[in-house]
Amino acid sequence: MAVPISQMYTVASYVLAQKLRGVKHYPLVLMLEPLFRCNLACAGCGKIQYPDHILDKRLTPEQCWAAAEECGAPIVAIPGGEPLIHPEIGRIVDGLVAQKRYLYVCTNAILLERKLKEFTPSKYLTFSIHMDGLKNEHDLAVCRDGVYEIAVKAIREALKRGHRVTTNTTLFDDANPDRVRQFFDEMMDLGVEGMMISPGYSYQKAPDQQHFLKKAKTRALFSRILSRPKARWKFNQSPLFLDFLMGKKEYECTPWGNPTYNVFGWQKPCYLLQEGYAKTFRELMETTEWQDYGTSKNEKCAECMVHCGYEASAVSDTFGTVSGFARTAKLTLLPTSR
Amino acid sequence: MTDIDKHMGADGSLEGRVFRPSSVEEIAEAVELALDYRGDVTLGLLSGEFIVGYLFSRQAKGETPSCEFFPQDKSVPRTIPYSEIASIAFTGEDTASGKSWEAWASKKESERRAEAERVEADARARGYL
Repeated sequence: MAVPISQMYTVASYVLAQKLRGVKHYPLVLMLEPLFRCNLACAGCGKIQYPDHILDKRLTPEQCWAAAEECGAPIVAIPGGEPLIHPEIGRIVDGLVAQKRYLYVCTNAILLERKLKEFTPSKYLTFSIHMDGLKNEHDLAVCRDGVYEIAVKAIREALKRGHRVTTNTTLFDDANPDRVRQFFDEMMDLGVEGMMISPGYSYQKAPDQQHFLKKAKTRALFSRILSRPKARWKFNQSPLFLDFLMGKKEYECTPWGNPTYNVFGWQKPCYLLQEGYAKTFRELMETTEWQDYGTSKNEKCAECMVHCGYEASAVSDTFGTVSGFARTAKLTLLPTSR
Repeated sequence: MTDIDKHMGADGSLEGRVFRPSSVEEIAEAVELALDYRGDVTLGLLSGEFIVGYLFSRQAKGETPSCEFFPQDKSVPRTIPYSEIASIAFTGEDTASGKSWEAWASKKESERRAEAERVEADARARGYL
């Protein structure tokens, strides 16, 4: 099983509590960006195109902890930028672990081996390593040779020290399904706990505008990748989200499911679109015009199938419908039945 | 100011352009362009002050529309009411411009390698590698 029982229980009880209380808009994963600075410049990334004085800004540990408390989501993902560049990333993580948040530090792993001494293994802490495919594909995606091998070495060392390690993979329209399946095998051989996959989103500011997937292509690609799954493949995400990627499920986006906090404040409306910022989480939830966003409601959302919008929809389906719960249980216990 | 295309340079960037809005609507339009711009802008205020920085948010609705602005030399943002804005100049480098996939792909292998090495050297100089 890719996700520990305690984490599943925490998420399940949180979501059920929200549903029993009749809360319609609740966060599932806080996307905490403590900085925008990165040590790579990947062609598909729209997160790092800022002037230097913005790239040099950092959230303090206290701001990070307060954001997590304010938001209340049981899971916190720390992307960026490259979070391991942050000089106080160890303190930030310690504080969030002390809050008993399940924490995913999303890193390209270039600095991971060097920084591992700053982290104590914990069931609450997972390193989510950016891996966009086998060596050739990954090094091409990150625009630098040798990064794949550095990441693999760091994964081995993190696992050796007892850390939870997963991978996160963004797939573009030139992805070769057979090579992606080989990549899954290679990651499982490495011993990672699970894998996360998602299609790319056409960031308005990303350099690579041509290679993002359109919905039909997304479904075709993920169907080819995920049909006849191997029993040894473990995914660290909702089985229903994978159904959605394959075109077996239709969901509306849940843009409030993964609220984003960074040096500008609470980002409206979601992790991918930047249409202004709120000063508090409450202001974000109460003043964002949610009805204007989603698959059929906004041109910018039309082709999006990214996990930050739809994973929360899938989780809501699991705990909100009998059929969703039954299919989740079936695919969790019998992953090859897909 | 309703036709955004006419404000763009040949590469689709607003870099180097200066707007002197003459109505509330034109200020709002210029602020939207600045919000979308991934570089610093220089705000000229009616007081005669000029401030350089990054415009990252705005409250376009309500009684007092305003924008949120990180001055280059300050650690905290400033709130600037639309009514105080006399001009917006796109003075900083557009950090998203000229980085299209086509541009990347059309470069010679040696140019791509040089660019990748420049990014790597910059990260190394900052101590991030």
